[in-house]
Amino acid sequence: MERVRQGELAGLAALFERHHRPLFQYFNHLCGNPDLSRDLVQEVFFRMLKYKDSFQAGGSFPAWMYQIARHTHVDTMRKRRFEVIPGGADSPFPEPASREESADDRLSRRQQTELLRRALNRLPPEKREVLVLSRFQNLRYEQIAEILDCEVGTVKVRVFRAVRALGEIYSELARQRAC
Amino acid sequence: MSKGIVMNCEQAQQHFVDAWTGSLASDEAAALNTHLDSCGSCREEFDRAQLYWNALGALPAPEPGPDLRTAFYGRLSRIEHGAGGERTGWRWLRHPAFQAAAAVLLLAAGLGLGRYTGSREDERLADLRKEVNDMRQLVALSLLQQQSAAERLQGVSWAYRVEQSNSEVLTALLHTLNADPNVNVRLAAVDALRNFSVAPEARAGLVNALPRQNSPLVQIAILDQLVDLRDRSSVPSVALLMHEPGVSPEVRERAEWAVKRLQ
Ligand SMILES: [Zn+2]
Repeated sequence: MERVRQGELAGLAALFERHHRPLFQYFNHLCGNPDLSRDLVQEVFFRMLKYKDSFQAGGSFPAWMYQIARHTHVDTMRKRRFEVIPGGADSPFPEPASREESADDRLSRRQQTELLRRALNRLPPEKREVLVLSRFQNLRYEQIAEILDCEVGTVKVRVFRAVRALGEIYSELARQRAC
Repeated sequence: MSKGIVMNCEQAQQHFVDAWTGSLASDEAAALNTHLDSCGSCREEFDRAQLYWNALGALPAPEPGPDLRTAFYGRLSRIEHGAGGERTGWRWLRHPAFQAAAAVLLLAAGLGLGRYTGSREDERLADLRKEVNDMRQLVALSLLQQQSAAERLQGVSWAYRVEQSNSEVLTALLHTLNADPNVNVRLAAVDALRNFSVAPEARAGLVNALPRQNSPLVQIAILDQLVDLRDRSSVPSVALLMHEPGVSPEVRERAEWAVKRLQ
């Protein structure tokens, strides 16, 4: 029996090795907190164990995994009474540019990246989520539709709207920096 | 030929993401372009949003660091040793639904090949191959532990699909060969071990299994395979089997034949 368990353990370890990195990135893009993200990743794997019966035969494994990941995220945020305060999870931001540099196209690449991250943090959670799933997780739209429980076409429109909203927030942040 | 599809603004917007990722069919791409050429506001939205879509892709990917792995394996080994009250075991991996899911993932990984482009293609292909191999291992190992002989047979057939260097599956096959109560499963395991014959452990495992088998069928299958593999190092063990008391006449005869062929 011990041998049996060893073999299965190797299989689970293979799953962990395969999926812990994208899961970590998923959580980190959602909450911007690496420590919390690591805890959440672990929690997902042990929840898979606990909720093993929720597998649907013929379903997609990544979709199932991300459904658990979503619930884990929501539950943990609720339990910890920890909300992502818009812009609150940012790393130290560079000093404001001088008044001479007024246009946002003067922003350095590093500043642009920082601004984009801030804009992502300020997106409403449901927009941020669909964007993270579609842009960073290498999932097919059918899988995202399954995770979010909606139609594929709806996912695509929601992705576009999320990107558009991101652009608006980014421009607003760039304007604030400029003046 | 593209004249067939006419898009309104909302339909066009549904196709933006596919256009950015280059996954539009040619008639859809043509229809989208036609719409964008005639609709200034969609064109503007399309270009602007694509800018941010691309910028997002260039965001540095955060790394989990070594702590996560350490913590995960720590908790795993506590469960393995039954500590911490988490004696849930790993039986869920044997759940048929999980195996179905694993198979679907394999399929998805196969279909996903087409999505990977760019300079990191080789790296990603290697990753993907590894995932496929890991999942095959998982499925093979899971099936080999099923209650029903039919499922264990399936497990043996999955074992053909893992890489020859996969020592976990090799170990599981040898275990099946020595311990499976069903003759057909053990016979299938002998055949599957041929796939691993480059590994010295596989040959040694076959030889060691010879005297342990209570079925002449399995013993003969092992002898045949040793001859096929031209494994001369097995001659002393096979000769020993010939003189073992309680060995069936058919096996003794086959062993004699095998020794002659190998010498
Ligand atoms: Zn339009």
